[in-house]
Amino acid sequence: MHIDNQQDTLPLVPEGIAAEAGETGPVLTGGHCPHCRRDFFPRPRHCPQCLQPPEERQLSGDGVIYSYTVVRTRAPFGLPQPYAVGFIDLSQSGLRIFGLLNQSDIGRLAIGKAVCLKLEPLGLDGKGGPCRRPYFSLAEREGDDA
Amino acid sequence: MPKPVVAGVGMIPFAKYPQRSLVDLGAEAAFLALKDAGVAPGRVEAGFFANAVGSRLFGDSTIGQNVLWEVGINRIPVINVENACTSGSTAFYLACNAVAAGQAEMALVVGAEKMCVPEFGLINSGESEWDTQLGLVAPASFALRAQRHMLEFGTTVEQMAQVAVKNRAHAAGNPVAMFRDLITVEDVLAAPMIVDPLTRFQCCPIADGAAALVVCSEAVARGLGRAAVRVKAVVLGTGGYESPQDLAHWETDYRVCAQAYEKAGLGPEDLDLVECHDAFTISEILHYEALGLCPPGEGGRFVAQGHASLGGRVPVNPSGGLLSRGHPVGATGVAQVIEIVEQLRGQAGPRQIAGAKVGLAHCMGGDKAGDTKSCTAAILSI
Repeated sequence: MHIDNQQDTLPLVPEGIAAEAGETGPVLTGGHCPHCRRDFFPRPRHCPQCLQPPEERQLSGDGVIYSYTVVRTRAPFGLPQPYAVGFIDLSQSGLRIFGLLNQSDIGRLAIGKAVCLKLEPLGLDGKGGPCRRPYFSLAEREGDDA
Repeated sequence: MPKPVVAGVGMIPFAKYPQRSLVDLGAEAAFLALKDAGVAPGRVEAGFFANAVGSRLFGDSTIGQNVLWEVGINRIPVINVENACTSGSTAFYLACNAVAAGQAEMALVVGAEKMCVPEFGLINSGESEWDTQLGLVAPASFALRAQRHMLEFGTTVEQMAQVAVKNRAHAAGNPVAMFRDLITVEDVLAAPMIVDPLTRFQCCPIADGAAALVVCSEAVARGLGRAAVRVKAVVLGTGGYESPQDLAHWETDYRVCAQAYEKAGLGPEDLDLVECHDAFTISEILHYEALGLCPPGEGGRFVAQGHASLGGRVPVNPSGGLLSRGHPVGATGVAQVIEIVEQLRGQAGPRQIAGAKVGLAHCMGGDKAGDTKSCTAAILSI
C-alpha cells in the first residue's frame, strides 16, 4: 500500500499510543514493568503493582477479534458511518484491548478472525483537522488483492 | 452502631421538562421526600446531592446547595456526588454510612438530572480518554458484551428483546415511568439498529427527572411513626481494570453483588424483587447472573422463561427499569431505591409484588478498560 509523505506527518490520535516502526509496520506503544514482568496498554504512569515507572515497550498489533460490533449512531470525531470497534486479543502480549476496526471489513468481521494493526488517516482530531488513528484490519491472506 | 433506614421517598415522573431547571426538578423531589417522611427541613443533618452531567451541560457546580436551600435546608454539610450512572446510588451509600457512623441522625439524598437538551450526545467515558477518541460509546461497550454472551452461551436476540418487552409491561403499572405503551419482541427487533445487535428499544432513553430519599437511624424513624425500610447492606465497588477482562462474566459485578449478600447475611434466594441497571437489555441479563438469580450463562433463558417478570420467580425491574422508566442519570440510583421501598411498603399499586419483604437495588456506572468504573448494590428489608 502506498502512503505518501503528507499522510505520514498527519497528527496521531490519540497521541502516543501507536507508532510506525519501519519495515514491520505500525506497533502499539505500551509499557512494560521489568520488575513485575507485565505488559500494559496504554503505557501507565506507574506499574499498578509496584509503582515503578514502566519502560516504553512496542507491542505487536497482531491479534484476533475477541468481540466486535458496528456502531450505527451519529459517528463522533468524523469517523465513518457506520464504523466498527472491537476488543482484540493481542497474540504476543496476551493483552485484550479496545480498538477501531477497518470500516471496509464490516460484513466480514467475526470473533476469532486474525487482525493486524494499521495507522492511517481516519476521522478528525480535536481541532477538526485530518489525523491518523490506529485501527485493526482483517489480516490479509496470501494472494489477496489488498 | 445506628442502623440506617429509609423513612421517606419522593420523586417526579421521569419525562422531558424543557421549561424547568435542574434545581426546580431536584427541589420538588426533595420536598416530596420530606413530606413523605413527615419531617421539617431543620431535622436534616446532612445532604447528598447526585448529578452527573449538569456541570458539563450547564456549567453549574455545587448544585446540591441550591437544591437543598429551595426546601429550607442550610448550614449542614452538603456534598455533591458525581459517579456516572451510580451518582444517585453513591449518594445513598454515603447517606447510609453517615447515619451508621453517627455523623448524622437524618440525611437527605437527592438525585436530579436534566439532560433532554440539544447539546446532549451519546454517553461516553470522557472526551479525553483514549478509547473515546477511538469511537467507544456506551452502547458499543454493551454490544461487545452481547456478542460474547451470544457466542459463549447461545443467548439470542429474541431473549435480549424479552428484557425490553418485560420492562415495558412492568412500566405500564408505574405512573412515573416515561414509556408505558406495551411493545412486542417483533417491535424491539424491528426498531432501528443502534449498535449491533442492540436496537433502539434495547437502549435506555435519556430523561429529565429527580428522586429523593430521607435516610435516618432506626431510633429516629420510630419517633416519626412511619413505616421505615431497613438498609441491610449498601456497598460500592470500582472496577478491576486489568487486562484481559472477561466481557461475558463481569468480575466487578459478581464481586460487588457478593459483598452485598455477605454484608446483609442474605442470598439471592431471599430476594422478592430486584431493581438493576438495565441500561441495555444485555446488561440486565449479565446482572441476573452476577446477582446469582440464575447460573452463569443462563440469563437469556431466565428472562425468556418469565422468571424475571412480575409473577415470576424474582421480578426484576418491576418499575420498568431504565429501559422504560427512563434514565436521568443522577436520579436513577435513587429512583431504584424508591421502587424497592414502595414495594416493601406495599404501595406499588398495580405492579405490587404480594408480601415483598426483601429487595435489592443494583446500579453501575462509567466505563474503563472493558470494565465498569462504579458498581453499587443495596439490600433493603421490612
